[in-house]
Amino acid sequence: MASIETGGGGSGKKAVNQEIPLIPFIDLLLCCVMFLLATAVWNQLAAMNANQQVPGQASTEDAPPEDEKVKLILQVRNAGYVLGSSAGESIDIKKRVVSNEREFDVDELKAKLAQWKQAWDKREDLIVAPEDGVRYEDVIVAMDVASAAGFTALSMADGAAFGG
Amino acid sequence: MAIKRPQPELLHHIPLRFVRNRVAGHGRKSVDHQIPLIPFIDFLIVLVIFLLMSFSASGELVAQQPTITMPAAANTAQIEISPIVAVDDRVITLDGTRVADTQTLGATAQVDRIEPLITGLEAEKRKWETIHPSEPFAGQVIVQADRNIDFRVVKKVMFSAAAAGYGNVSFAVNQAEK
Repeated sequence: MASIETGGGGSGKKAVNQEIPLIPFIDLLLCCVMFLLATAVWNQLAAMNANQQVPGQASTEDAPPEDEKVKLILQVRNAGYVLGSSAGESIDIKKRVVSNEREFDVDELKAKLAQWKQAWDKREDLIVAPEDGVRYEDVIVAMDVASAAGFTALSMADGAAFGG
Repeated sequence: MAIKRPQPELLHHIPLRFVRNRVAGHGRKSVDHQIPLIPFIDFLIVLVIFLLMSFSASGELVAQQPTITMPAAANTAQIEISPIVAVDDRVITLDGTRVADTQTLGATAQVDRIEPLITGLEAEKRKWETIHPSEPFAGQVIVQADRNIDFRVVKKVMFSAAAAGYGNVSFAVNQAEK
């Protein structure tokens, strides 16, 4: 047992040495360890949120500003990404060839989305429209890149509805 | 803290050396030992701090399934309690109950309704509205899909979820570092 000794204590004075009770402290720590082990969450899971967008659906808010009437759309096609808007803009980002395999050009998408964010700095909404046949992981990567670029209010729509 | 060998306790207070020697074992080497408690306490404190760092107050809402390898993403939100639709390469389940076959859904291009999924989600919705009568229904569903699944299958799941009143979808992902 740990103790604090001040020396002295002689000549009839009351001793001021103290014993520190370590056993209850160890019991407390062991209880903490057991509780934390029982409630520990080892896998780091998170979520990417999106709502479902029906193309042509009217907004629920009254009279949105003019620039918010323009829909910003990121299509994830089998041939690559297409950034477009209902105003008629369209930027094609083809897949690139990496070691004889065609991959989505994520770096190019990051650059183009950053440019778009500068052009539409007040907008946070983006419609992600994946095509049939695209891997689920590629859609999540596209959504992740869009969130990183500042488009945090993501909606999902059917890629076929936008001519995919 | 010391471990003391069991020994006679009587006659210890008598201040005579020959009595003490007789009682203590005739001057033989003592077998008393000190257990070092301070390093043990240090170890426990480090363990508690490590476990506190990985502590999550919300607990484990979505369990990692062995048949599903989820994609990773860095810009994510926290998972909230919602019905979980799991999509692996064989079956689609709602909270562990099988509702459809992945292969069958992936074979056709048309957007089919998954009736058992819609029925299950509507039942969940009714249950939620009964428990929370004064709160607006969030309509959120967690989709936990394998990363190599064709998005066509996920699209059909989302369509069926929307048909049941679940318009907000949370895609469960592994948290990647930014």
